[in-house]
Amino acid sequence: MRTILKLAWRNIWRNKKRSIITIISVFIAVFLALIIRSMQLGMYDNVIKNVAGNYTGYLQIHNKGYWEDRNLENSITLNDTLIKKINTTEGVEDIVPRLQTFSLASYGNTSKGVLINGIDIEKENKIRSLGERLSKGKAFVSAANEVIVGKGLAKYFSLKPNDTIYLIGQGYHGMAAAGKFTVAGIIDLKNLELNNLVIFMPIKTLRNYLSSPDIVTNLIILKSEKTDVDKLRIQLLKNLPENQFEVMTWKKMLPELHQAIVADNAGGLYMVFILYLIITFGIFSTILMMTQERIFEFGIMTAIGMKKKVIIKILWVETLLLSLIGVVLGSIVAYPILYYFHKNPLPLPSDKADMMEKFGFLPEIPFSISTDIFITHGLIIFGIAVFVALYPTLKILRLNTLKAMHKK
Amino acid sequence: MNVIETTNLKKFYNEGTELEVRALNDVNLSIKQGEFTAIVGPSGSGKTTLLNIIGGLDTPTYGKIFIDGKDISKLNENQLIDFRLHHIGFVFQAYNLIPVLSAYENTELIMLLQNKPEQERRKRVINLLKAVGLEKQIDKRPAQMSGGQQQRVAVARALASKPKFILADEPTANLDSKSTAQLLDIMKKLNEEEGMTFIFSTHDQRVIDRAKRVITLDDGKIIQDTSTLKETY
Repeated sequence: MRTILKLAWRNIWRNKKRSIITIISVFIAVFLALIIRSMQLGMYDNVIKNVAGNYTGYLQIHNKGYWEDRNLENSITLNDTLIKKINTTEGVEDIVPRLQTFSLASYGNTSKGVLINGIDIEKENKIRSLGERLSKGKAFVSAANEVIVGKGLAKYFSLKPNDTIYLIGQGYHGMAAAGKFTVAGIIDLKNLELNNLVIFMPIKTLRNYLSSPDIVTNLIILKSEKTDVDKLRIQLLKNLPENQFEVMTWKKMLPELHQAIVADNAGGLYMVFILYLIITFGIFSTILMMTQERIFEFGIMTAIGMKKKVIIKILWVETLLLSLIGVVLGSIVAYPILYYFHKNPLPLPSDKADMMEKFGFLPEIPFSISTDIFITHGLIIFGIAVFVALYPTLKILRLNTLKAMHKK
Repeated sequence: MNVIETTNLKKFYNEGTELEVRALNDVNLSIKQGEFTAIVGPSGSGKTTLLNIIGGLDTPTYGKIFIDGKDISKLNENQLIDFRLHHIGFVFQAYNLIPVLSAYENTELIMLLQNKPEQERRKRVINLLKAVGLEKQIDKRPAQMSGGQQQRVAVARALASKPKFILADEPTANLDSKSTAQLLDIMKKLNEEEGMTFIFSTHDQRVIDRAKRVITLDDGKIIQDTSTLKETY
C-alpha cells in the first residue's frame, strides 16, 4: 500500500498546475456547498425550534382522533401506568401535559372566542419560558385563579394586569363551564394569530373550570438531543396500548411548515447538485487526461509484471487523493466561518425581520455546524471520485499491453 | 536445458484476407541458459514480434512457446503478467522507466511486486546499481539522468527479479557510442560472470559483434543461425 500511495502522490504532482486547479475547484465547491447547506439547515433548525420547539413540541401524544376533532371528549385521562409507559421509552426525557379548549371570553361589553391553554408551569418552562415573553404584569403561580392573556387579545379587550375577565364555555361531558379570572400578565408570543387568540392558565385551574380533575388533551414529549424524532414516534407507538393513542411529530402537526421546508430545501439541494455536477466534470477531465497520457506507461507497467489491479488501485488513490485534499481544505476554511455565524447569527434585513417576527420567528439565521453536513458533503465528493474512477478502471481492464506500448 | 523453445511458431495478422501478413512463419528456435544472442534482420522481418511472443507480451497464431519447459501459450492475461514478473526481464529501446521513481525505486519496484522483504530488496538494488555503475545516481529520477544511465537502470530493473533471461528490444538504438560500449560491457559481464541469458533484437553492428550467437530473420523465417553454422562446420 505504501508503494501505491507513493506512486499515486507523485503522479498527482507530475502536472502541478492541473492538479492544483482540480483541487481548488473541489475546494470551492465544498466550501460553497457547506456555506449554502449550513445556512439553509441552520435556518430550518431555527424555524423548527421557534415553531415546533416553542409551540407544538417535536412530538405529541393525543387520544386517538383528537387532532382531527379537538374537543374534550377526545382527551386523555392521565394515570400512573400511562405515564410510566411513556417515561420508560428510550429517548424520552420528560412529559409536558397541556389541556386546551375553546371558550368565550368577556370583558366589559365585548366578548370573543379564545383558545385556553392549561399548562404545568414548571414543565412548560422546559419548552419555553413564558416569563421571558411577558410584555406586562407577571407570570401566574400554580393553582392560582389567574390568567396570562395574549397581546392581541389584551388589546382587543383593552385589558391590563389585575383586570378581571369572564370565561364561559362547555366543560367535560357536557357540563357548563364558567368562571372569572384575574389577568396576571400580558404576553407577546411573536405570533400574530396566537396573540389574538390565546389565554394561559395553570392546568389545575383549567381542570376546575372544566370540572375534569385528571384530563389532558396533549402530552408533549421532550426527547434527548440525539434521539431521532421519527424513531421515537415508532417506539412510543409500540409501547402504548394499541388503537388508543395517536403519536404525532411536528411534521404531521405542522404540515405547511414541513412542506415549506421541504420545498425550500429542494431548491438548495438543486443548487448544490449543479455545483457538484460542474465539479464532477472538472475531476473527470483531470482523471481523463491523467489516464490517457499514461497509457504507454501502463503498458510498460503490465509488461514488467505489474498486475492490472495494482495499476487500478494507484489510479483510484490518485482520484481519491485529489478529491480528499479539496474536501479537507474546503472544510477547514469553511468551519471557522460557519462557527462564527453559528454563534453570531446573520440578522435579516429589517423588512424581512418584521415579517419573520410577526410569524413568530427570530429574525436571524444561525448557521448549522452539525457534523452531518461535513460528513454528507465529504461522502458526496467521495461518491463523485468513485464514479469518476470508473473511467480509468475500465480503461485499465481493457488495456492491451502491446497496443499500449505503441502509444507513445 | 533450453530456457526458450519455440515449435512451428507462426504469427499471422489479418489471416485469411487479402491483407494477410505473416510476421512469423514456422519459427523453430531453442535458446540455452547463458546464451548471449542477437536477433537481427531488416525492418519488418519479425524480430520484435518474435521477442514479444517469447516475452509473453503477444500470443502466437499457431505453434508453441516453452519457457523453462512451461508452455506459456496456454496462459491467460493475468497468468502471463505474473509469469513475466518472475521469469523475464525486459530492456526497451526507449528505457521506459517510471518517471516519478528514482533509479533506486525503479529497480526496487519489480521486487516490491514480488513481495520480497525490504532487507533483501535493499541489498540487491544497491548491488545491481553498483554493477551497472550507478551507485552515485540512486536518488536521481529518469529526467535527471542521461539516456545511457537510464538504460543501465533499465538493465538493473530487468535483473532485479532474478529472471531466467533478459529480452532487450534494440537496447542501444538511442545511445551514443560511449554509452553503447558501457552498456554492452555491463551486459557481457553479467552474462559471463553470472550466466544471465540475454536475447537482443538489434540493427546495431556493435551489438552483433559482441553476440555469441546471431539469428537472422527475414520475412518471418530464420534464414541464418550462427549456432547451426558452428555445428555444421
